[in-house]
Amino acid sequence: MTAPAPGLYLSSTGSYPRVGDAPDLQVLRRTIAALDRGERTTADMLDAENELTRRAIADQLKAGLDIVTDGQIRWYDPISHLAGKMENVKIGGLLRFFDTNFYFRQPVLTRKPVRRGPLVVGEYSFARNALGHLPTPGDKAGKLAIKPVLTGPYTLAKFSHAEHPGNGEPGSLASREMRAMAYAEALAAELTALAEAGAELIQVDEPAAIRFPEDWEIFEKALAPLIEARDRVRESGRDLEVALYFYFHDCTALYEKLVNLPADIVGLDFTYDPKLADLIASAGSPKPLGLGLVDARNTRLEDADVIAWQVERLLPKIEGGRAYLGPSSGLEYLPRDRAFAKLELLAKVGEALKALKGPTQ
Amino acid sequence: MSREKLAALGLRLPEFPTTSVGSFPKPDYLAKARAEFAKGELDAEKLRELERKATKFWIETQEKLGVDVLVDGEMYRGDMVAYFAERLPGFTQGGLVRSYGNRYYHKPIITGAVEWPGPVTVEWWKYAQSLTKKPVKGMLTGSYTIMDWSFNEHYPARRATALALAEVIRKEVEALIAAGCKIIQIDEPALSVRPEELPVAIEAMNATTNGLDAYFITHACYGAFERIYPGMLDLAVDNFDLEMSNNDLSLLEVLRAHPFTKDISFGVVDVHTHAMEPESTVRGRVEKALEILPKDQIWIDPDCGLKTRTTEEAIEKLRLCVTAAKAMRN
Repeated sequence: MTAPAPGLYLSSTGSYPRVGDAPDLQVLRRTIAALDRGERTTADMLDAENELTRRAIADQLKAGLDIVTDGQIRWYDPISHLAGKMENVKIGGLLRFFDTNFYFRQPVLTRKPVRRGPLVVGEYSFARNALGHLPTPGDKAGKLAIKPVLTGPYTLAKFSHAEHPGNGEPGSLASREMRAMAYAEALAAELTALAEAGAELIQVDEPAAIRFPEDWEIFEKALAPLIEARDRVRESGRDLEVALYFYFHDCTALYEKLVNLPADIVGLDFTYDPKLADLIASAGSPKPLGLGLVDARNTRLEDADVIAWQVERLLPKIEGGRAYLGPSSGLEYLPRDRAFAKLELLAKVGEALKALKGPTQ
Repeated sequence: MSREKLAALGLRLPEFPTTSVGSFPKPDYLAKARAEFAKGELDAEKLRELERKATKFWIETQEKLGVDVLVDGEMYRGDMVAYFAERLPGFTQGGLVRSYGNRYYHKPIITGAVEWPGPVTVEWWKYAQSLTKKPVKGMLTGSYTIMDWSFNEHYPARRATALALAEVIRKEVEALIAAGCKIIQIDEPALSVRPEELPVAIEAMNATTNGLDAYFITHACYGAFERIYPGMLDLAVDNFDLEMSNNDLSLLEVLRAHPFTKDISFGVVDVHTHAMEPESTVRGRVEKALEILPKDQIWIDPDCGLKTRTTEEAIEKLRLCVTAAKAMRN
């Protein structure tokens, strides 16, 4: 396993707005609405998704990111997009997604959810191909990477329910642990398939793990199959790192547990408690961190110098001197113009750091 | 206690008073008119005329059905937060943000100090009340929810934002009371999204209603109530309007854990389904409520606003509520 070089990487944290106010940014919205009316085909929708995905990647490149995602443009939501592709899963009613005003469709498990085919491998391959056809900024040549994103097994399980819950005994789908382990099996296979398709860094989102710490044991158990899959990929000679991301809640109380998880990178949301940065500055981190210092939930644009100061004090405390500066969560909770401004802010922080210390990498 | 308050306000309601949560479906002619208005193809006066016509229809419909405490149906509103944000100085309209699936809305941005521009809802309340002798609820969105569902570029923190908005909403409450409104619903659907912030929501509601002479209801839904109960009972309102049926009354188990010290508007029909519950099912839900709540504390209504149903479905859902209440009274 070749570890990436030390330094600060500018990274997306996942989603990107799939609509903007300009007419050409409404193409997906309008195509889906027309599809619902029977006036367009699913092929038209796929074209629109492809176009918006290219534009999401282009925005990230234009802003100067090192690690980009496909913007999760095709995702109906972070839960049903994955669960809905598995066998024995029906998609049910709307539920609020954490403390956002965004709603997801709840998976209803008729039996154990089973992966019968790729979940996001095709999306990842499309994004890689799109990246190869977009102009690459000179200083990023050879460094850019597409990072596929998966919602983790515990979060999927927490927001699913069983159609026939049985008697609630361990072994039935009424048990969150059983649901989480079933999802973990499916996601471990997806992780392997993504690595075989070329992914060297995969982000696994587990926001529910910090919101519902009473289920920590279940979360850890469900993580294990993914880590085992990563290890098998590495044993086969491929490079692969798993980045676990936590957001939508204060990470401070769980910090020690989070950074000791067997992931390669741990991404944290710094927007809930300013003490998190102080804690890291004092306690350090035994592994690379995702620094979610840019608020992905509010339009107010932070001062690049203030964030640069935070990075400057945290980076030396992180084992290996490697960190990933990004938004606190996916950016689709912001209007598109503000989301792009947040990406540009990341680059400004990078520039501010260069001014302080020389090149960031 | 709340019965006494209602009596002191001159309101004599039957057992199991019936009401609804706020919104009703807009008739096709109004939906079309709103779209034309948005494109600049219809003037404001013509739109207002159609909104009044639709309001009249819903007041008459509720009267015919025998609903006890009426609402104006919100024919003149779109989103419950955007409606106020568009009218309060301090807000700017934000760009499009996804709500779910392929649905998007313009999420407001607080860019300056929020101010009360004068009465926002009072004229509509007066109009609706002029059409009936039954009480019509004043309908507002709570300051905590407006804060939570807006971006904030002005205030230093969420608490400061909620309290600034509470001052504004209080002025609207005072204006409604001055106009003669006696029952005011202040919706807080965001109440439970950050359980650790419940004290902020309580402080903000207290700042909105404390010392004011009206019967206050708050509606909350889609929530993790198990994380804020019984603490939420400290909210300065008389009645919690709760979505009960969408989750198979599972919330009842939460409420069982501690005496429910307020009145409840108990959602007995699911508004998220086209299906109509059998009358026996609806009545059974009220009977379940009686297992943990005295009958004097129970109001009956749908789970949530009915605006996503068809007009026919909304009327039938309301009829089911009224039928269940009448059966229980007998």
